[in-house]
Amino acid sequence: MSSHGSHSALGSPSLANKLVRLTLIAAALFIVALFLVLPLVSVFVQAFAQGWRMYVDAVRQDDVISALKLTLLVTALAVPLNVVFGIAASWAITRFDFVGKNALITLIDIPLAVSPVVAGMMYIEVFGLHGWFGPWLDAHNVHIVFAVPGIVLATIFVTFPFVARELIPFMQAQGSDEEEAAVVLGAGAFSVFWRVTLPNIKWALLYGAILAASRSIGEFGAVSVLSGHIRGRTTTLPLAVEMSYNEYNFTAAFAAASLLSFAAVITLAIKKILESTSGIHSSAGREKDRA
Amino acid sequence: MSIQIEEIRKNYGAFEALKGVSLTIEGGELLALLGPSGSGKTTLLRIIAGLEAPDQGDIRLHGEESTHLDPARRGIGFVFQHYALFRHMTIFDNVAFGLRVQPRGLRLSRAQIRDRVAELLKLVQLDSYARMYPDQLSGGQRQRVALARALAVRPKVLLLDEPFSALDAKVRKDLRTWLRHIHDELRVTTVLVTHDQEEALEVADRVVILNRGVLEQIGTPQEIYDNPASPFVYNFLGNVNLFHGRLLADLTPAASNASDKHTAPSIGFVRPHEFDISRTEPDNGQTLPATIDRLLATGPQIRLELTVPGSPNPVSVELSRARSRELDLHEGDEVFLSPQEIRIFHDRPAGDPLLEQGAGI
Repeated sequence: MSSHGSHSALGSPSLANKLVRLTLIAAALFIVALFLVLPLVSVFVQAFAQGWRMYVDAVRQDDVISALKLTLLVTALAVPLNVVFGIAASWAITRFDFVGKNALITLIDIPLAVSPVVAGMMYIEVFGLHGWFGPWLDAHNVHIVFAVPGIVLATIFVTFPFVARELIPFMQAQGSDEEEAAVVLGAGAFSVFWRVTLPNIKWALLYGAILAASRSIGEFGAVSVLSGHIRGRTTTLPLAVEMSYNEYNFTAAFAAASLLSFAAVITLAIKKILESTSGIHSSAGREKDRA
Repeated sequence: MSIQIEEIRKNYGAFEALKGVSLTIEGGELLALLGPSGSGKTTLLRIIAGLEAPDQGDIRLHGEESTHLDPARRGIGFVFQHYALFRHMTIFDNVAFGLRVQPRGLRLSRAQIRDRVAELLKLVQLDSYARMYPDQLSGGQRQRVALARALAVRPKVLLLDEPFSALDAKVRKDLRTWLRHIHDELRVTTVLVTHDQEEALEVADRVVILNRGVLEQIGTPQEIYDNPASPFVYNFLGNVNLFHGRLLADLTPAASNASDKHTAPSIGFVRPHEFDISRTEPDNGQTLPATIDRLLATGPQIRLELTVPGSPNPVSVELSRARSRELDLHEGDEVFLSPQEIRIFHDRPAGDPLLEQGAGI
């Protein structure tokens, strides 16, 4: 579609034009291949370097399996919570006027601006043994830092903006006419949300959730600070990669890395399918929305 | 159902949308709220619907205090400017929506809902579109669906917010006539918001003219057309020639009392068909010399645009074809204009944008 567009924009291309275009395309492809595809392939090459069997064994190590389980658990907790938060925030921001609205919009973006490592440190400062709530939590036998709850919190923090940032512009563009129509027709708040709002935002919501999920699976910095790297207990997949690598256990490191890469490829595929079926982030979809 | 609106005020920050509007809408009538953008007409409609709360004042529906009643309990149907159809539902489901969200005890059975929707789609002449989605319909069809959806719950009041303004001229005219037929059939109290004076005068039983949050005039279309209450109304109804102060004093020595006409600034309005044209200067003295700039002969009437020396704005005049032929008028001719009727307003309100533009045509 883009070649078609440039064609009509430039008129019928001369030889020089063609040459420029080919060079640019070749350069882009080369850079993508060198910096993106090749490293990804090398992960799998390394993972399978000592054969299928070694790979399967490496993946089936207890540490890798527990890291995989923890990663999935954290994602399964963080994403739904962020979906709930994202809907609430977007609803509030796009449907109501209130003092501090702009501040809220800015606050939602903090996790994108702050380095994840700093986020991790902040949680230690708040919930750590020497932090504000640490002693109280410890006295009540609640462990957040260097435990699973801390990892979940850190992941929620870094994925905070994804759903809301996807929904806010979408809901702004849609306006509240349909919801008002539903209210006037006698629908209660729950009915309006369930029958009108949710069906209208479902694709954007799913898209935001996919982005949040892929970030949850891959998050390293904040989780690294809060996890305490307890093997088999507080180690997520990205941490397992680092730990194995530092111990020169390359097969295990690349096996874990290959799992992460699989996850990335899968989320990318889902995202692509979503874009083409729902029309989110494509010109065709926007066309359809306007009609 | 009648609607009493008492002293409604509404501000948006520093902007005063409604500055104390009072009005009674009779049961069964079709009332148009007419005004330019920013006049507060849509705000008033949304307050009647309960979609906005007034800062002050009361709304009584059928005599009952309803200012803060939930929109869902007001028994209203609302039609939005941009249709607001549920885009993920079929036309059938759109129309059925209001019936399906009724509380369990009041809800119709499936079969009853099906029959009611079929009946409504028939009323809006879209029975064969039930399975389609809103984006498969034209603008006019969508607005008919929106009307069917609003009528499905048998509202006691139908509120329409510029329902035809997003449609093209031909469809708008058809729908307007059709709305009037539906109203005559169902006799639901209807409030129509519009900025189109032609639409308001043609469709409504009574017209309310709003300007900057203030009610300027209320009356039947005939009353409003014949006796505009203010310069604003005169101008807003369109198609009018406006003359300022000194010129007016010269024009109409008998029309106003002679003492203040030179001191108080005043303006006069003459509609295009209220002029007579002559080749020679009549002896009564109330005439203006003018030059014909343009002569438009397409249509039932001849339309002239003339320049009057000393007047900054062109004057527009309408004549019958017969009269024009009799006078043998051509562009460039020097003629004399005699206003047959003139309406004079003293104390021109300051800062009225419509008036500052000069003659509205």
